[in-house]
Amino acid sequence: MNAPNEIRAMLVESATRLFADHVDAGMLEAAKRDGWSAALWAVMESAELPRVSVPEEAGGAGGTLSDLAAVLRVAGRYAAPVPFVETALLGNWLLAGAGLELPRGPLAVLPGAPLSGQRSGDGWAVSGKRGRVPWARIAARLVGLAEADGELLVVVVDPAACLIAPGRNLAGEPRDEVTLHHVPALLAAPASAGVTARTLRQRAALGRALLMAGALERALELSIGYAQQRVQFGRPIAQFQAIQQELARAAGEVAAAVAAALSAAGAVEQRGEALFEVAAAKIRTADAAREVTLIAHQVHGAIGVTDEYPLHHSTLRLWAWRDEDGNEAEWSIALGREVQRLSAEGLWPLGLAFQAQH
Amino acid sequence: MFFENVDFSSLEVPAAAQALREEVCTFLQAEAAAGTFTPQVGHAEFSAEFTRKVAARGWIGMTWPRRYGGHERSYLERFVVTEEMLASAAPCAAHWFGDRQIGPSLLRHGSEKLKERYLPAIARGECYFALGMSEPNSGSDLASVRTRAERVAGGWRVTGQKVWTSWAHKAHAFFVLCRTSPDTGNRHEGLSQLIVELNAPGVTVRPILFMNGYHHFNEVFLDNVFVPDDRVVGEIGQGWKQVTSELALERSGPERYMITFPLLVELIRRLGQAADVRAQEWVGRLTARFWTLRRMALAIALTLERGSGSDGGAQQATVDLATEAALVKDMGTFYEREITDAARLLAGVEPDPGAHDAFERYLAEAIVYAPISTLRGGTTQVLRTLIARRLLGPRP
Ligand SMILES: Cc1cc2nc3c(=O)[nH]c(=O)nc-3n(C[C@H](O)[C@H](O)[C@H](O)COP(=O)(O)OP(=O)(O)OC[C@H]3O[C@@H](n4cnc5c(N)ncnc54)[C@H](O)[C@@H]3O)c2cc1C
Repeated sequence: MNAPNEIRAMLVESATRLFADHVDAGMLEAAKRDGWSAALWAVMESAELPRVSVPEEAGGAGGTLSDLAAVLRVAGRYAAPVPFVETALLGNWLLAGAGLELPRGPLAVLPGAPLSGQRSGDGWAVSGKRGRVPWARIAARLVGLAEADGELLVVVVDPAACLIAPGRNLAGEPRDEVTLHHVPALLAAPASAGVTARTLRQRAALGRALLMAGALERALELSIGYAQQRVQFGRPIAQFQAIQQELARAAGEVAAAVAAALSAAGAVEQRGEALFEVAAAKIRTADAAREVTLIAHQVHGAIGVTDEYPLHHSTLRLWAWRDEDGNEAEWSIALGREVQRLSAEGLWPLGLAFQAQH
Repeated sequence: MFFENVDFSSLEVPAAAQALREEVCTFLQAEAAAGTFTPQVGHAEFSAEFTRKVAARGWIGMTWPRRYGGHERSYLERFVVTEEMLASAAPCAAHWFGDRQIGPSLLRHGSEKLKERYLPAIARGECYFALGMSEPNSGSDLASVRTRAERVAGGWRVTGQKVWTSWAHKAHAFFVLCRTSPDTGNRHEGLSQLIVELNAPGVTVRPILFMNGYHHFNEVFLDNVFVPDDRVVGEIGQGWKQVTSELALERSGPERYMITFPLLVELIRRLGQAADVRAQEWVGRLTARFWTLRRMALAIALTLERGSGSDGGAQQATVDLATEAALVKDMGTFYEREITDAARLLAGVEPDPGAHDAFERYLAEAIVYAPISTLRGGTTQVLRTLIARRLLGPRP
């Protein structure tokens, strides 16, 4: 049950090697300019990483969602500048569930309420406007939900047929405004059971939490390494108890963030809908991001806030990601309401025994 | 970096433990209704009557071998029972030390004779233990204890002073950490653990009142107290190693983040279905943090479970997870204050120790006992130093 999963361990090991070999300072700098790394994406695609959790009959590797979660954490650790969550956790899930063919190339997913769909010839056309869509301008295809004739459809459109106004997050990742004006759907099929705008948002928040868990680990690793090497007052600053205490506090936050994000992935894998756990994971990773980014910068001193030192690849992403797909206040309110619904009697032991019940 | 071999995504309490949970829950509700105890937040109460009833259910010494009165159940089942006791703020002080520290320590280090003398009695809920580690001049720096034992025919003569000894005024015996040979440079050597029975000639227990006037802990004076050879725990001179492994056990459980949990539940009850966004946000965040701490504690319990296959394996696993246990304790003890603060600020009532309303009384208790959880079982600073050592490696 809790035994180390050997297949997953191998997957994580090979993904770690892949990112370590291909993500470097030069690539991350170039990605700030280009919005992403096409070269990294190509390597990931040939390693089938975007299809880790796609069922074999849909052309994937047949892994579990928790397998993918473990790899997303690694991607977050390396600040991989690619739409990995959007393609692997969101887009391919929507497409495979609807029985649609998975296109090659990176996907962007239109968030929020379903688009509006209308009949157009033999197929469908969709309309709507969405702000801050991750990676829209570099995506090969846009995937979204659309409501048409009272039915919920998964649709695929060509970004070239949309109006895309480029935007960016703090780390320079594309967050674009997409306007769809009666755009023909290249592919469309009814969404599978359990797919709703609500579960899509939960998965998006889960993906962000997993990336954050990895980014938090990197911020801590850099801080530990720097503290051991930076000498002041004649000794490495790691020997000062004040520094040690802050690193220990950061380590606790990182461990909590990792535990929360991976636990939530397990809940989504088992139940699909997992408001409680996803909310908890997004809240806990965001809380950790607040503490750990500031500790990491404090430990680094001035070098940490420069463009040349790598810490900002992690911290800028953490400051961006904690507010994407719902910040900790929004998810706290949602979880607070869920707890109210469960009531004082229901929170314990049943509320917390979700894992055992389902 | 931490929890290396834990698969959080599949971590769960098995269904069998769920039935046990319900059994414990029903028992506790009945006992509270019958007035056997009044739930109290902030620290566990001492009730011999309650402890005997818990023992009769087989919930003390759950993981110990049957031949010593144990029940050979799993660590997870013990985890579930502990959670339920805490959720109901049940008075477990009479068996807490025995069940969590003394028992495992005797199983690992104790002679056959010691195990037979104490373990079945602890498991029956009839023998209560205290812990004599701290002294007036030895708190965090435990290796500096000055209580000393001198060799005499058939045993040892112990002289010194212990302090902050919880429930020594009600316990039958306590573990005493003392010096059995002089400090010759390596301060971790020459320390031993002896069991001193509190009714032995030369033992004097004096109360130290808590700031609210409550009698919880004591100072214990030992004046030339005779301790027979067969009350030595483990080996003479190995006391330090034994004590540190006990501390790791003490740190790993839900008691490190659940002491004020009943206050959170009462806060939720008080809020009812009110559309109060500020309260919802606070409750949501507290719940998220609670859930995360529980996942980590569960990971430790499951690892103990895995390590418990062979004799002594559990203790080995404990040592390996000592840093994780310290992390959970450090974060858990701060988390408890967050609950207290949220309850205070959201409810806007003055803390009243005499309140009839459970929420208000719990709040008053939680505030007064707030400082203790970050002191006992290793202070915040000591825990963080331990964590940092794992992060940074041994000092060059
Ligand atoms: C309610 C309660 C019950 C207790 N029950 C028992 C019991 O049953 N048996 C028992 O043996 N003990 C018991 N204790 C004692 C407890 O274990 C000690 O309080 C604890 O070990 C800290 O020791 P101290 O109080 O002497 O504080 P000190 O060690 O003097 O610490 C004072 C402050 O200095 C800090 N400090 C100390 N050393 C360092 C360092 N190296 N680096 C940084 N900071 C440092 C501490 O973190 C703390 O903030 C109990 C305590 C309480 C509050």
